[in-house]
Amino acid sequence: MSNYLAAIWKCRYFWLAMVRMDLRTRYRRSVLGIGWSLLQPIAMTAVMCTVFCTLFNETLADYAPSLMAGFCFWNFITTATSQGCSCLFQGEKYIRQYPAPIAIYPLRAVLGASFHFLIALSLVLMLRIVMKGFDNIPALLIHLVPTLFLLFVLGWSLAILVSFATVYFPDTQNITEVGLQILFYATPIIYKPQMLIDKGLGWVVYLNPLAAYLQILRDPILYGVSPPVQAYLMAILTAIVFAGMAAATLLQLQRKIIFQL
Amino acid sequence: MASIRLDDVSLVFRVRQQRRMTLKEFVVQRIMLRTPNPVLEVKALQNINLHLNEGDRLGIIGCNGAGKSTMLRMLAGIYPPTTGTRVVDGEIGSLFDLALGFEQDATGWENICFRGYLQGETPKTIKSKMQAIADFSELGEFLYTPLRYYSSGMVVRLAFSVATAINPEILLVDEVLSAGDLAFQRKCRQRMEDMISTARLIVMVSHDLGALQRFCNRIIWLENGTIREEGPAEIVIGRYKTEMQRLHGAEGAYDAGQSDSVRDELPPAEGFSVAA
Repeated sequence: MSNYLAAIWKCRYFWLAMVRMDLRTRYRRSVLGIGWSLLQPIAMTAVMCTVFCTLFNETLADYAPSLMAGFCFWNFITTATSQGCSCLFQGEKYIRQYPAPIAIYPLRAVLGASFHFLIALSLVLMLRIVMKGFDNIPALLIHLVPTLFLLFVLGWSLAILVSFATVYFPDTQNITEVGLQILFYATPIIYKPQMLIDKGLGWVVYLNPLAAYLQILRDPILYGVSPPVQAYLMAILTAIVFAGMAAATLLQLQRKIIFQL
Repeated sequence: MASIRLDDVSLVFRVRQQRRMTLKEFVVQRIMLRTPNPVLEVKALQNINLHLNEGDRLGIIGCNGAGKSTMLRMLAGIYPPTTGTRVVDGEIGSLFDLALGFEQDATGWENICFRGYLQGETPKTIKSKMQAIADFSELGEFLYTPLRYYSSGMVVRLAFSVATAINPEILLVDEVLSAGDLAFQRKCRQRMEDMISTARLIVMVSHDLGALQRFCNRIIWLENGTIREEGPAEIVIGRYKTEMQRLHGAEGAYDAGQSDSVRDELPPAEGFSVAA
């Protein structure tokens, strides 16, 4: 395990260069550069705010940052999985020539997604501060450290799992897209978790690990409170389970995948 | 101390009859109790025993499909052996499929970096080699354009220049002696000879029997994934040529000697100016 991580670290210059190239080609394609990639969550938030602020009787200052945080989070999950699906085919030319650890290709995908996520998240923070002031948010920023780490582990594990699955079954991408679409509505992104709990559907929130991730992300930076321990536990448990599955997949298939590409 | 040790290594490719099946098909076929997509086994390498030590120069010959390239990839650690053990001691440098493995949208300079990093360079070490690589490739201003606009010959030039910029302990070469145009081929051959003289252990696959005879002290002759003969270069190559003649008559003799005659057509070194 530590050997494997060391091997990944050893070729860091390679995957970092790949990530840099991915980001550059993505931003170069548009005049607005980074701004363009933020336009999508901003526009989504703007449109949905006009509809749901009225529907849910929410104030704009409460709803807009919360909604946008949700979109950023969801964007990270979907990008990590969709890029993860194609990453081994993308890296096939290198896999065929150098025996580098396979996990670096999903890593490339998830690092790209993380970069976008961090930019969007800083925008959410700004939005929150502009709309509702600082409160005790600076003191709670420390909570972002474990949250971001857990999110990164989850994203990398997901990317590894779908990358291998896609090589064996090419319709994995379709299936995960459909699955994520369903999960989107079961996750408190456009509504608040309290709304479901009040209507007696609390189990949807409690059983959905992504809801826990959203809570540990939103609580400190939007509501100015420390996230509850059970949300952390749920997030940690999920990360461990997915990381375990990813590690098992790598252990079993990492050497054999070349025969399937 | 560079060394390679293969003990009773076999490599079996498990090929699916149809390419990939979707998860839906897979589940449906399982429910209907049909065997989904039967597996064909291709025995690419069988019971290979090989011990190479520092100073060895091994050539691999054989017909197409005999397992030569598979053998090199297995030595490089890309294909894991199905059974048997492979122990390799020493840093490996490999020259396979030169035109493969470039980013089409990145420039020549960027691609030099990517390849270099994969070969174990760091930003510091690559910096000192960049200019030498660029000079050797003679691509000049083209290095600033994306690879998409390169001709295949230019790609090969770049690939060869990057791949040979390292000094590995173990060098694995798959049929790259005929890269680029005549002038570049001459340079390549010179570079190869330099590398061969500095690398501590070499395994090369080629159909150029003349080159193998010059570079190698040992030859293995692969046939259907097994070692048919092993021994000093001259003897094994001689037997191989005789066999080819016996099998294919005059035509086979031409095939086996073809690369030699191509080399003879190359203009002599002194009558040919190469900017180096």
